Amino acid sequence: MPAVTADDLSALMSRVAVGDREALRQLYQATSSKLFGVCLRILSDKDESEDVLQEVYVTIWRRADRFDPARASVMTWISTIARNRAIDRLRARGPLARADQIDDMEIADEAPSATALLESAEQVGALQRCLAELDDRTETAIRTAFFEGVTYEALAQRLDTPLGTVKSWIRRGLMKLKGCLEP
Amino acid sequence: MSDTGLELTETEGLAAEHALGVLTASERAQAERRMASEPAFAQAVDDWRRRIAPLAAEVAPVQPSNEVWPRIERALPVNDNNPQLARRLAFWRSATVGAMGLAAASLMVAVYLGNRPPVVIPAQAPAVMPMLNASLNTEGGQPLFVASYDPVRQALIITSLVPPGTDPLHVHQVWLIPPEDGVPRSLGMVEPGTAKTVPLDASISDLAHEGTEIAVSVEPLGGSTQAGPSGPVAAIGALGQI
Repeated sequence: MPAVTADDLSALMSRVAVGDREALRQLYQATSSKLFGVCLRILSDKDESEDVLQEVYVTIWRRADRFDPARASVMTWISTIARNRAIDRLRARGPLARADQIDDMEIADEAPSATALLESAEQVGALQRCLAELDDRTETAIRTAFFEGVTYEALAQRLDTPLGTVKSWIRRGLMKLKGCLEP
Repeated sequence: MSDTGLELTETEGLAAEHALGVLTASERAQAERRMASEPAFAQAVDDWRRRIAPLAAEVAPVQPSNEVWPRIERALPVNDNNPQLARRLAFWRSATVGAMGLAAASLMVAVYLGNRPPVVIPAQAPAVMPMLNASLNTEGGQPLFVASYDPVRQALIITSLVPPGTDPLHVHQVWLIPPEDGVPRSLGMVEPGTAKTVPLDASISDLAHEGTEIAVSVEPLGGSTQAGPSGPVAAIGALGQI
């Protein structure tokens, strides 16, 4: 498949919004492996992740008319839906789900791959740069929270750090992040 | 928005935490309710989602199994019962397919009839074989195609009222759906703004009678990828004597 750009995704979304099933199929082809990766990272269960993936695209279909390109890119919008659905599913296992580190779930810290074309390379770069400016433990805590969708409680257990301390790291880290992204 | 100190305000901190996804199930539900009732909070959550979402670029893509897409397709709302159908067809309607178009199409059918050699019905004709006609309408009652079945020539004449050049990335595929089994038979494509005569095989022409439905679906270039329509049914109507 030829490389799909953020503009292509916007064009597809506007067709999905008027009920074009073929456009949804093309959007699925272009983005499902990324969204499946996002769900799998959170749930670390293939069947559950596929259930969630199905819900995600049906949600995209139903809510496409509410997508506002002025407020978010397509990838931001759909990956947020995927993370939310996967996190909701993870919460059904209880607040301490995935409080134990999974060995083969090393936190990716790679340069954006070719699929990052789907997202604005500029935005990805800015966020990575700002995260790198945080102290290491804060960056780790925020990245783990984002990629694995765990609660503060599970995060505290995993980092072997008191809950209040983890909360404070993350809140301060997020504030610095905002200041860095929007100086 | 934020304090002058090192901490986010309570509201913005909560918005950021909800966007990041560190809240418990009940806290998440509470945050969602607050988003629904408090636009400023919803905006703050959206802003945080936008800030952190690019991190997803780092997640390695993984191919889901091939069964997922068919499951999604089955879970989509059924077109014929979907109140959104009217909205879906807005792009056609915006091109003002209206009474004028219908009149033009009727004229085309009339011209066709006029040009046919007169049919002499012998006295002992087994049965009168009148033309059967169908107006193929959207769910909202908008006619998009007109179909006529000529039992003498065993051919279906389909006329598209869709303006020429509409949606060049899709084709309009014609289907014959007999009440006997409800199984759609493809009659090929019709181009927007044109009329076409489709000769029917004996096996199919037997199925073209009063009550048989003619439908048009919107399909990818090359036509439906499966036995029946794979895209949305844009318009449908039953053959009858007008």
